[in-house]
Amino acid sequence: MANKKPVIAPSKPAIHWLMVTLTIIAIPHFFYQPIWVALIFLFMMSWRLMHSWRGWPLPADKRLLKGLHSVSAVLTILLVFYSYGITIGRDAGVALLTTMAAFKIVEVKSLRDYYLSCFMGFFLVITHFFFNQTIPIVILMLVNVILLTSCLITVNETDSSAKSRVKQASIMVLQATPLMLLLFVLFPRISGPIWGLPNDAMDIPDSLPDSMTLGELPPRNSATTGMSDDITIGNISQLIQSDAIAFRVKFDNNRFPDRQNLYWRGPVLWHTDGKRWLPLQDNQKQSDAVSKIRVSGEALSYSMTLEPHDRRWLFALDFPTAYPATMQTRLSGDGELNSQETVKQRIQYRLSSNTEYLFNPLNDPYLRYGLNLPEDHHPRSQRLARQLIETSESNEAYIDAVLAYFRQQNFSYSLTPPALRGDTIDQFLFETRQGFCEHYAASFTILMRAGGIPARIVTGYQGGEINPVDQVLTVRQRDAHAWTEVWLPNKGWLRIDPTAAVSSNRVDFGMGDLLPAERRSPRAIANNDRLVEMWQSAKNNWDALNSAWDMWVVSYGPEKQLELLKKLGMQQPDWQKMIRWLAIGIAMVFIWIAWTTLRLKSHSTDRVQRAYLKFCSTLARHGIERQPNEGPEAFAIRAQQAFPAYQQQISTISTLYMHVRYRGDASENDFIQSVKQFKPQHSA
Amino acid sequence: MTQGSTDRILHSINAVILGKQHAVKLALSCLIARGHLLIEDLPGVGKTTLAHTLATTLGLRFQRVQFTSDMLPADILGVSIYDPEKHQFSFHRGPIFTQLLLADEINRASPRTQSALLEAMEEQQVTIEGDSYPLEDPFFVIATQNPTHQIGTFPLPESQLDRFLMRIQLGYPDHQAERALLMGEDRRQLLRQLDAEITPHQLIKLQQTASHIALSEALIDYVQALLRYTRQSSQFYNGLSPRAGLGLIQAARAWAMISGRDFVLPEDVQAVFPSIVQHRLQAREHLQSADWANDILQQVVIP
Repeated sequence: MANKKPVIAPSKPAIHWLMVTLTIIAIPHFFYQPIWVALIFLFMMSWRLMHSWRGWPLPADKRLLKGLHSVSAVLTILLVFYSYGITIGRDAGVALLTTMAAFKIVEVKSLRDYYLSCFMGFFLVITHFFFNQTIPIVILMLVNVILLTSCLITVNETDSSAKSRVKQASIMVLQATPLMLLLFVLFPRISGPIWGLPNDAMDIPDSLPDSMTLGELPPRNSATTGMSDDITIGNISQLIQSDAIAFRVKFDNNRFPDRQNLYWRGPVLWHTDGKRWLPLQDNQKQSDAVSKIRVSGEALSYSMTLEPHDRRWLFALDFPTAYPATMQTRLSGDGELNSQETVKQRIQYRLSSNTEYLFNPLNDPYLRYGLNLPEDHHPRSQRLARQLIETSESNEAYIDAVLAYFRQQNFSYSLTPPALRGDTIDQFLFETRQGFCEHYAASFTILMRAGGIPARIVTGYQGGEINPVDQVLTVRQRDAHAWTEVWLPNKGWLRIDPTAAVSSNRVDFGMGDLLPAERRSPRAIANNDRLVEMWQSAKNNWDALNSAWDMWVVSYGPEKQLELLKKLGMQQPDWQKMIRWLAIGIAMVFIWIAWTTLRLKSHSTDRVQRAYLKFCSTLARHGIERQPNEGPEAFAIRAQQAFPAYQQQISTISTLYMHVRYRGDASENDFIQSVKQFKPQHSA
Repeated sequence: MTQGSTDRILHSINAVILGKQHAVKLALSCLIARGHLLIEDLPGVGKTTLAHTLATTLGLRFQRVQFTSDMLPADILGVSIYDPEKHQFSFHRGPIFTQLLLADEINRASPRTQSALLEAMEEQQVTIEGDSYPLEDPFFVIATQNPTHQIGTFPLPESQLDRFLMRIQLGYPDHQAERALLMGEDRRQLLRQLDAEITPHQLIKLQQTASHIALSEALIDYVQALLRYTRQSSQFYNGLSPRAGLGLIQAARAWAMISGRDFVLPEDVQAVFPSIVQHRLQAREHLQSADWANDILQQVVIP
């Protein structure tokens, strides 16, 4: 024991500071994690706090407690495995890190333990990124990093004030920023699973389902992710509740299509059993199915930033004619644009679309599926179809008759339709007559098929909001939409939106207009037009900032990196060049930091000294240089001899300086003023 | 009054000791800073004359002891002798009971005798056979020492060197001064004509004034930078002690006062620094540059 190095214990303020910091870091995780994570964390913090206040023993003090502490740590690890399974994914990892950081805090006895806790804190900070990558979280993370750095300062320097420690930590973080930027821009980005996030590190708040079921609105947040294959929750109606962003579009040259043509094509649904609608089965798809598309008019080019939805389909303005060059995609025979891989991260791609087109005007391989009706379903609808077709002369006339039926009968658009039971289509068409896009699209398609016209449902999004700040069109989950396509000879698949027949506002003004007022602006200011306007403009700016953030920072991947480096003038960037420039950049940053700190060392920061050094450098420009070890009096005498023309002024300034700095009885301002007035004209 | 009196003192000393203004000023600051002075130099450059002149001009009672190798502590401190008529011991005070003691060639005495003197210097009193006898106030020791490489010397240990506030060297006079010396009157004659410029009481007053000279934070920073340099540098076996730091400040104050200022400048510290540190710091062999004290001053930046 005698020759053991003495253990330096971190001071109490340092430990308290660290506890506060760790708690601030951990709090956001409590919302994502099971309750026991928060309980264990807070229990350990309280234990340590009671040790400081009341002297309660720590695990190291008593053998029994030590055993208890170790056993409960092991139990917690088992609990994590029990809750999340054996594979360590995002949630399990974060739960483990959070609880173990808490277990560690009651163990902190030496400086080494303290540092370990700090570094666990740094890891915990990073994990925030797995849940959220927005600007507020980044600001929170920055605060956390500063706090942790101040912990490292505190434990080494306990007598400074909290304010000065935070200030020093901020300066250090600020000094590290150029390095951070360099690494961010130049570190080679490689797409692939190693560099990606863990598999469950994805929150998909809402996304378009791959099937459709007519039903009532489920309560908000009843289902959390769109990843599940449970089709009963995958309702478009549910999406209407969500303001989450589906994708953003930036049109080249800000040329926007008409609002009536803002249909964003997604999965196509063919099969129905009377309730559910499903896409083509894999064995029904014909790999050699060729889509013949005749376009007219000018193509619109745009780039899409698609939020992850864990599906393979990509959305495109109806109808895509040029496909992304940066990724493997395929256009299916029924007009679905699919990616080779599921979209697990935010991706960007460029597309071109023509809004005027003919799709398979002569023949279509899937026509027979477009006429399938479920047996023994919708008897009343079929009767209605027979009635209408008898009075119609042509297919077009029949379509018009059905649309007229929707318009003339007492149908209404409602976001809160009554629940449908039994034969949903019949009940909707003849009894409730309230619904939204999916009700209209489904019943219209049924009526078309009953009338002998091939029809299918296309799901996707309609509309979107153009932000006046950056001219980016944002499409949110609430813009989810379903419409019908019917196939007519020589015309191909025609888009018909029965919802528009009922509620033209839905298409003309977008979903935003149909939302209740409190979802557009806070209720408190709803009565004041000026405030609503200000709210709207603030919101637009904030959205534009977020959009830029998402496009340039969060989705800064291999493609963006290449694009940026080419813009910066690097020819054919590859990882070797990036590493080389990174090394050069880092060296420059270090040289710069070394230079400034060395300069700061000889340049005191207090204002009297700054003024005096300015006086000295003024004289140095006239050939009289003060040595760093030369006292003010000696220098003054030398300067006066060398520069007799300004003898009086030099003497006054030097005397003032000596009195301010070494006697403490002259006015600092007088001295600083006199230095400012000292402007020797000619050389010594 | 202080300015005039110190000027007069310096003037009279410089009239006797020619061409040694800096050393004389250092010696005076040492006494005003209540420090003991060690003068190290070759025989015949005026060490004794300087001590004598200082004593006279400051109006101090003066004793001179020539140290030899067979000297005993009692030869300095005094001795108790049995008085057969009174049937008791009576204490006969040694030469140390004076205001200014010139300990000539202190390194010729045995370590035992040296330490007896140095203990008395430290404690300001003499203890013999259980009785304590306080020394006078003011009490100074000016010791002279021959360079230690001369034969028959006992070099003072470092711990005892630390008791001296300053160690100064006189060195040969320059051409002009030497000429004036050779042409001028006999120094002993001059000394006899010299008058006291102040009283011991006034000297104590001067010491008190010096200890109240203003000392700013910035200057303390500088002193600390110097101390830190000696401790961190690899040129020396040990750094300067806190006592050396205190001495540096005392001496700088006295120097500032003699220079006519009521606050201390870095220049004051620089002026006294070599004489304060040269006998305290032990430079490593290979760095034995003659002027390393000034090298330190060159290296340390005034904050």
